[in-house]
Formats: sequence, structure tokens, C-alpha cells
Amino acid sequence: MQDPWISAIEVADLTQRFGAVLAVDRLSLSIPPGMFYGIVGPNGAGKTTTLMAMCGLREPTSGSIKIAGHDLRTDREAALAQLGIMMDGLSLPERLTATEILRYSAGLRGLDDGWRARAGDLLEILGLDAVPRTLIVEYSTGMRKKINLALAMLHRPRVLVLDEPFEAIDPVSAHSIEQVLRQYVDGGGTVVLSSHIMDFVERNCRRVAVVAGGRVLVEGPVEEVAAGSTLNERFVELVGADPVRPLEWLA
Amino acid sequence: MIRTLFALKLRLFRNGPHNERAFSLVTGLVLAALVIAGASLTADGVIHEGWIAVAFTVWGGMWLFGPLAQPRHDPSVISREWLRGYPLGSWRPAWALSWTELLGVGPLITLACLSSLVVLAAPGGMAAVAAAVAAVVAQLYLLIWAGKTVAALAAWLLQTRAGMTLAAVQTAIMLALSFAGWVLVAAWLLPRLGEGDTALVIPRAGQLPEPVIDVLAAWPTGWGYGAALAARDGAGTGPVLLPLAALLALGALSQLCWIALTARALSRPPRRASSRRPSVPGRGLSLPFATPQVAAVVSRELATWLRDPARGVELRSAWLTPLLMALIIAFTDWSWALPLVGPAAAVFGAMVAINTYALDGTALWQLLTTPGALKADVHGRMAAWALLFGLPSIALAAVLWAATGSPLGGAAVGGAIAAAAAGCAGAPLLALVMPAVGTDARDRIYPGQQAGDPTGGQMTIFPVALLAAILPGVIGGPWWVTALVAVLLAAAVLGMTPAITVRLLQQRGTHLLDAMASRDAAALRSSARAES
Repeated sequence: MQDPWISAIEVADLTQRFGAVLAVDRLSLSIPPGMFYGIVGPNGAGKTTTLMAMCGLREPTSGSIKIAGHDLRTDREAALAQLGIMMDGLSLPERLTATEILRYSAGLRGLDDGWRARAGDLLEILGLDAVPRTLIVEYSTGMRKKINLALAMLHRPRVLVLDEPFEAIDPVSAHSIEQVLRQYVDGGGTVVLSSHIMDFVERNCRRVAVVAGGRVLVEGPVEEVAAGSTLNERFVELVGADPVRPLEWLA
Repeated sequence: MIRTLFALKLRLFRNGPHNERAFSLVTGLVLAALVIAGASLTADGVIHEGWIAVAFTVWGGMWLFGPLAQPRHDPSVISREWLRGYPLGSWRPAWALSWTELLGVGPLITLACLSSLVVLAAPGGMAAVAAAVAAVVAQLYLLIWAGKTVAALAAWLLQTRAGMTLAAVQTAIMLALSFAGWVLVAAWLLPRLGEGDTALVIPRAGQLPEPVIDVLAAWPTGWGYGAALAARDGAGTGPVLLPLAALLALGALSQLCWIALTARALSRPPRRASSRRPSVPGRGLSLPFATPQVAAVVSRELATWLRDPARGVELRSAWLTPLLMALIIAFTDWSWALPLVGPAAAVFGAMVAINTYALDGTALWQLLTTPGALKADVHGRMAAWALLFGLPSIALAAVLWAATGSPLGGAAVGGAIAAAAAGCAGAPLLALVMPAVGTDARDRIYPGQQAGDPTGGQMTIFPVALLAAILPGVIGGPWWVTALVAVLLAAAVLGMTPAITVRLLQQRGTHLLDAMASRDAAALRSSARAES
């Protein structure tokens, strides 16, 4: 059981510069434990950059990040041990099968034998046990998301950080992933995810942060952020959408 | 369309990296100048003109075998992927692309080299010079299209598993000839060196035997040479026009082949070479003296070496090369040199393992986010390398020592131990310091795709591993002294280097990940500068 007084993730004044580009601008978030937490924003808002910094995959220009009370800069190993990570668009050891990569991950983390049962459950529920000889490099986008999720959950982390977990996958796969994540949160885990799928965020997340231009525009319980509209309408209102003039050549 | 593609290629040249192209241009022009200078000396009889035929054969061989020597690289500048979406059919863009292939450093330096034909023909008067100019154009046309067709065939073959093996064999032949081909000459000049006799057998030099020149002139690489000499000597129109017509006909046929292969590539999506799959998902590996973390990395590395197409080509060529070298040496009187193939195998093993981090690509994220994984990864890569290359190299040296009873056997085994240690510890370090970033692992299906050019790293580790291999033998003394020196050297290298590699990985890991995600190694260089 997690300590309810310690934030699952605490981001304070996170700033990330890429040369002259300011991708994240003094962003602060306090994510309580035991809930679904959504980060939404337009493309280029700084969501993935923020998540990568949370996972220790990018050194912030300034600011601090704590995972379950462990500072990522000064207590990196303890902080990372709390995390399960699923990043979008990155490779895995591509020439392994699903079972092999889970065994590899279990070995790398020095897990006890309990991983075998958990791996079997995850492969079965996510439908990956049907292709035992297929290498990761041959996986479809949906299968990649699933094996990434299985890897993220295998060591029973306290916090899951998921970058776009539902992008480009079919509704059936999305449904199975959603069910697994719900069970995880019901068991006391914390899920922090970025998504463009407002319907999912509205349906599952208890709190949401709307990020644009590297800053948090608004953060709070989903109902409060939506303010009587749907989250999608409120998002467009907050971020601002330019009117699209009629294109005569399309007539 | 031809004009558009020409403009595109010029822009790609202008905006792309220049280092390699500039190096090739300068080196090529220097070599071409040497051939021209040689041709100008033939008139006075300082050099026999047959040597110019040799130069053309070598130059033509570079066109034909050059693409095969580097199976990792897709030589095309304009990607086929960019054209596949346009509703143009496949033959029309392939035809247009074929003319843009004339634009490049290779055709330019070859034109410079072939202009030596004009120098050769000049004593025959204006008509001979005109014929030589035509021979230059025709020979250039053939060489370009023969080379391009071989490259396109190689690219097509590399999409299959059989092609990968073929590429590995061809690379191994090239390397074995480069590294051991000289033994054939040396064994001819110093046949009793193994017995300590340094008496030199001096061959007659200066003029090549006439049959050799005839053979070289009969090959397509010598047809232009034959036509230019015929024109100079006033041999009539037949001996001049016939080779020119043959060059143009063969060139046109090659161009047609290239267009057909390119049209085929444009008309269908890239073929996915089926990876070697496990018959049953592999079991975990239990290694003595290794933690579960290191054993996990070793399992991953062994599977990756056997299944990744790019690593597979390297693995096969690294082992075929020393075996072919042994074969070459076995045909000479220098069988006493056979045990030296052991250290050579360790050196080749080090050279092919120089880019593993970049080949694994953004999979590095998993190591960066798993506590304690970086140290396990470095040690696991080293252990896997030792199993695949290091220990077999030492065993090879020992077996060949036992088989030949060579006086150099002890030095060879010692050299293999030291070179294996240098390769084992040095390859992960250089893979981290000098990554040749290419297509990310998830998108890399076959080795013809841009997997990064690790030549810089290979040229760095080669002298290091070679020096380690030589050192125990140079120090000399009885065999046990050589062995002791080798073991001490190996212990020092294996004791110190991994700690440096782990520390660098901890410091630069995120920057390396950035470099691989963006396919731009500049991110890593800027981080190194920031650290310093």
C-alpha cells in the first residue's frame, strides 16, 4: 500500500531547453498516488518531453522530479525502481520473442521466480501468447504497445508512466489494455499517461493536466477542468483553435 | 522529371554531409593523377604500358566489388521511398533516376583516371586522340553501369537470408585478400623465412608478361585501353570500333538491368527478410560466475548476434575472414605463420563489434531506466563477445600452434589472449564513444538499410587490438614469459576499461539515446564537449 501523503510523482519547476527552443517552461505537477492521471495537450506541447524527464530519460535543464519521494537526480536508482515505463516510438531488444524479452527484463531487474506467473498472465490477457515465435521487430504497432505494457508491469511498479498508450491501436487491443490498467489502479497503483484520446481520459482519469507551450494551462479533477463541457470541447477552448477558412479548390 | 531529380540530388549533395565525399574526391583525384602520370611516362619507356592496363583493371574492380565490400550501405542518394507514392508508374522514375546516378564523386574521379587513355593515344596524332576520347566515354559508361547494377543486385540480395550469407562471404574474401593476400607475394620473395633464412628471391620486374597484358585487355575493364592503343598504333577501324561498340552495348545492357531492378524496387514495398526465429522460445542462460543480470544480457546478446541481419553479416564475415586467411597461408610455404590467424580473428571480432549500441538503437531506454542495468549491460556485452570471438580466437591460435608446431605459436597464443582482451573491453567502450548512428533497430529489417557506417570506430580499434596482439611477441623470451605478459596485459585491460565504459554510459546515456532517436550523433558530441 502506498503512503497517501507522498506524491506518486512530484515535478517542480521543470524546464527543458533544446538550444534556443524552450520545450518545457517551469512546469510543476503533483500527482497523488493510486489514480489515473492524464496529461493532454496539442502536438509539441511538451508532454513527451515531460514524461521522458519523469522517467530519467532526459536530463532537465532545471527543476526537480521526485518519484514516490525519491529524487531522480540524487537518488536515481531508488526512484527508477518505483517506475514502469512505456514510451512511444522507441525500440526494444528487437530480436527477442515476447517470452524472451520478459525473461530478459526479469533477469535484468533480478526478479524472483514470481515473474513467470505474472508474465504468463500478461501474455495471455494481452493476446501475445498466440505468437510465441514472433520476434519483436515483426510486431504490429498494437502488439508493440502490448509488449511494452507487459514489460512496464512485470516488476509490479508503484507508478506507471505511459506515453500515448492508445495511439494507433485497434479498439479491441485498447479495451484489453484499459482493463489491465483499471485493475492496476484498483490495486493501488498510479498511472500517469499522455493521450490525445479525450474520451479515454474523461472516462478513466480522476485528474488531468492540460499542457500547451511547455506550461500547465489548467490542472485538477476532470469534471472541474471540463467545466460543464466535454473534455474535448474544453481542451479546444483552452488551447485555442484557429478558424479554418473555406478552401475553394476543395469545392 | 530528369531535371527535377538532378536538382534534388544537387541539393542533397549541397545540404548533406561532405566529409566522406570530400575525402573520396581528393583520394580519387590523387590516384587518378598517378595513373595519368604513369601513362605519360610510358611514351619514354620509363613504365611499360601494361601497368596502365593493370591500373584500369584495379579501378574497374573497385566499381564492381566496392559495393559488395560494404554490404551495410544503401548507395542511393535519392531514396526509393520518396518516389514510391507518386502515380508515375515505376519505369519512368527509374529511367529518370538512372541519369542522376551519373552525378557523383565516383564518375568524376573515374573520368579523371580514364583520361590517361588520351595521354596513351596522344603519340598517334589527332585521330588517335579522338578515338581515345570516345574510348574514355564508352569505358566510363560501362564502369558506371556495371558498378551500379552490381550495387543494385547486392541491395536486392541483401533482403534475403541467402544474400546476407553471400554478402558476408564476399566481404570476407575482400578482407582476407587485403590482409593475407600479401603473404602470397611475401612467401614467394622470402620462401625460407620460417627457418630464419632471410635470403630474398628477387623477381624480374619492369615489364609484365605479354599474356598477362592480353588477358587484362580482353576483360571489359581493358576494352577502352585496347581501343586507344589500336588507334595510336593505326591498327585500322575494326580494332578501334569493335571494343567501343562492345563497351556501349554492355553498358546499355547494364543500365537496362539497373532500371529494371530499380523499377521493381519502386513498384513494391521493401521486402521483409524473415529473421531467424527460435524453434522454441529460448531458455534462460545460466553462466558460472555471472549475476542473473549479466546472464540476461548475455542471452540477449547471443540471440541478437545470431538473429539481427546487420550483426549476422558482421559475425559471419568476422569468422570467415580469418579462416580464408588461414587457407591462403596454407597454400604457401609460410605454414609457420598459421597460428597468427588466431590473434587476427580476435582483431576482426573487435572490429565487427564496434557499433553494437548504435545497432541496438533506442532500446537503450530500457537500460537507462532499470536500476543497475548499465553495469550489467557492459559486462554482459563483454561476456557475449568473449564467447563468440575471444575464447574461440585463443583456441584457434592454440590448435594451429599444435598442428604446425610453429616457433611463433607461443607468441600467437599470447597475442590472441591480449587482442581478445583489448577487443572484449574496447569494443563496448568505442561503441559508446564513437557510435555510427543509422536506422533505428525497430525499422531495420535487412542489412542493406542504413545501419550506420562504423568505419571510424573500426579504424580506431584495429591498431589498438593489433598493438595488443603484437606486444607479447615483441617482448619475447620463452613462451611462458610471452604468456605471462599477455595475461597481465589482459588483466589490466579487463580490469580498468569496463569501469570507464560504465561511467561514460551513466554520464552520456541519455545523450546517446537522444542521438539515436534523432539519428544525429551531433547530440552526443555536444554533450561530450559540455562535459569537458
